[in-house]
Amino acid sequence: MSQPPAIRVADLSVWYGAQRALTGITLDVPAGQVLALIGASGCGKSTVLRALNRMIDRVPNVRWQGSAMVGDTDVLGPAVDVVALRRRVGMVFQQPNPFPFSVFDNVAYGPRLHGIKHPARLRKTVEDSLKQAALWDEVRGKLRRPARALSGGQQQRLCIARALAVKPQVLLMDEPTAALDPLSTAKIEELVRELKGRYTMVVVTHNLQQAARISDWTAFLEAGRLIESGQTGTIFTTPRDARTENYITGRYE
Amino acid sequence: MNRRGLTLHRAALGLAGVTGLVYAAMLASLLRDGWPLLSWRFLLGLPRELEAGGGVAPEILNTFSMVMMAMAVIAPLGLAVAVQRVEYGRDVWWTRELDRWSRVFLSVPGIVVGLVAYRVLVAELGWPVSILTGTVALAVLNWPFVAVSAGDALAGVPESLREGSLALGTTRWQTWLFAVLPEALPSLVNGLGLAAARMIGESAALIFTAGVNVSPHWGLAAPGETLAVHLWYIRTEGLMPDATGQAAATGIVLLGLVIALLWASQRLALWLERRH
Amino acid sequence: MTAHSRRLRTDRRQQVLLGAAAGLYAAVGLGVLLMLLVSSGPLLLRVGVWQALLGVHWNPLAGQFGLVPFMSGTLLVTALAILLALPLAMALAVVGARVLRGTGPSLMTRGLTVLAAVPSVIYGWWGLTTVVPVVRRWSGGPGFSLASAGIVLALMILPTLAVLFQDALTRVPPTWQEGSLALGATDDQTLVRLIWPAARANLFRAMLVAVARALGETMAVQMVIGGQTIWQLNLLRPGATLTTQILTDLAVFPPGTAGYRALAVMALLLMAGMYMLVRISERWERTP
Repeated sequence: MSQPPAIRVADLSVWYGAQRALTGITLDVPAGQVLALIGASGCGKSTVLRALNRMIDRVPNVRWQGSAMVGDTDVLGPAVDVVALRRRVGMVFQQPNPFPFSVFDNVAYGPRLHGIKHPARLRKTVEDSLKQAALWDEVRGKLRRPARALSGGQQQRLCIARALAVKPQVLLMDEPTAALDPLSTAKIEELVRELKGRYTMVVVTHNLQQAARISDWTAFLEAGRLIESGQTGTIFTTPRDARTENYITGRYE
Repeated sequence: MNRRGLTLHRAALGLAGVTGLVYAAMLASLLRDGWPLLSWRFLLGLPRELEAGGGVAPEILNTFSMVMMAMAVIAPLGLAVAVQRVEYGRDVWWTRELDRWSRVFLSVPGIVVGLVAYRVLVAELGWPVSILTGTVALAVLNWPFVAVSAGDALAGVPESLREGSLALGTTRWQTWLFAVLPEALPSLVNGLGLAAARMIGESAALIFTAGVNVSPHWGLAAPGETLAVHLWYIRTEGLMPDATGQAAATGIVLLGLVIALLWASQRLALWLERRH
Repeated sequence: MTAHSRRLRTDRRQQVLLGAAAGLYAAVGLGVLLMLLVSSGPLLLRVGVWQALLGVHWNPLAGQFGLVPFMSGTLLVTALAILLALPLAMALAVVGARVLRGTGPSLMTRGLTVLAAVPSVIYGWWGLTTVVPVVRRWSGGPGFSLASAGIVLALMILPTLAVLFQDALTRVPPTWQEGSLALGATDDQTLVRLIWPAARANLFRAMLVAVARALGETMAVQMVIGGQTIWQLNLLRPGATLTTQILTDLAVFPPGTAGYRALAVMALLLMAGMYMLVRISERWERTP
């Protein structure tokens, strides 16, 4: 597997119509490491994430300034092939969103888009992806069952497998455990730690302990601005900014 | 949207545009042929069999009276069936069968109802081919539509609303009247509007029950050609020299009525929804 | 008597009234079906079901009650209408559900609802003034034809089909579509590989509704089909359907005649068709 790319966001501002969602965000994620984005609801965490794979394109009247380098390409540049970009930058959503197909067809959805039709190759990709997502042991022999019959935690790992099957270099996760019970959450967190090194990851989370457990870097956003970012250990033990400290100690109004 | 992989969507846009043009052309030809004949004399005059310059006043009156009478009967009856099925309904074989046949009768052809009504009412009971006979045929034809659309409207009300009301110690009837009905009213009104539009446009069920001619004096036992039947009759069998134009002008009046009715019922539904 | 027991009594009285309404409703439906059976029974018993259904000659005055010309006409016209309407309705639905933004989709639905409520005689009128002459010029035949009927019928069922298709496509959750796009699918790929398969039960049921509407339509078809009772399969020549034949012959054969009984058989066939469509639709109700 090739080396995952580093991510460098520089002075990124985003507007939804007249409303400003992000102001001058600058962030770095070294190759193969995990960045956690924390902050209150509506602070712009998801917008940062959705800028990186250009899902913000779907919002009407969206505008942006600045750059976001994934490896050597500025994903916000005008000439970027959005479809190719999304194959490099995978995404996992807050609500598990398996398609109404079988487990196999869910994972094979991406590879089939690439034109992989050969049954044996498809099967291998599906198996590898399910193994990487730590779901293989639970669904082996049940690949033809409908994916929506799986439990919530299994569905979310299936969605991770589905994202991994297109062989991305970057993985974006938008509150991946917000809809899950503690046990499933623990499994997903373990999975993130395992995938570290092979993928550069950005994880949005509301759960501060989770951010502390899984990430190398943490960035705290408030009202569309980056308040503070740094190594996770530093942010959680010796935050420089009072607002960060208030937030992580729960004195946030 | 992405720049790439939009071929199908573009083709759909093109096809949809062409389809829109076809409907526009249809409307345009209706207006082209019918507009010159539209006048107060046309709206207020009597039809003429053999000469040009006839009007459609009796047809307008017949359409209104038959649709309103049929509506007066099936709106409450259709709602009653819907309430019985949705609020009090048990799930046993005969209620399931009733629901199934409701859906079958939803698409019963008007001519089939006409065939049966003609035999039962006209041939066996000796009723004249008249406004009353036509009204019964209209009511029978559209009762299932009202019952099903009202049932859908009631079923759309969340169960939690009923439980909340019943938990306060009200009877089921009070629950329905004060909790369910206001919530369902907008879609009920929409459904009734569609039912009335269907009835205004109905013709197959009426040809043999209400007839293809009019009487100068309105009465329940008088023949009751409606606008839709009139359009069909003069366009297929009319002998007047301006038959095409007359038919088109009748079509414009008919279409105007349908659109006005749908518009009004949609506005009413919207107003009810906002007020609620 | 306490207020509560009075209320309960009202409640019970309402229930009796509602039950009576439902009973009358069932009785009317049963009555229609029974009358069709009573009307057609004697003929079916005398001529035989298969002979009636499979005969190709229609001449009630000479004792010939073959219904094949009308069944074939109904099937051909319906098939043609569906074939023509399907791609156009899907195009409209895709535009309404996936291309238009803001108030566009709801405007589209309202426009299509109005078109769906346009009385069938107006479609028939337009068929007579436009479709029939065009087919005549194009084919050299009379213009009144199965093809004209199919075209007019296609335009008639198209708005209904498009509204239902648009609804089916809109019901596919946006989160699934986002999932597909995030995997690097284009919008076309998302439509073909995710949205159509995910919506297929609703799409299929929408088509059944359109089929029912096409099977039962009488006026618009009668105005342009030509009313030819001799069986033939050339789409460019006149024909007749079950509904149009009832319409044209009911004036000739009053109740009590053998001809009327044959018309009742046709009506019964139509009802059987509608029943079958409902049963098929039920089977698709719970499949995703």
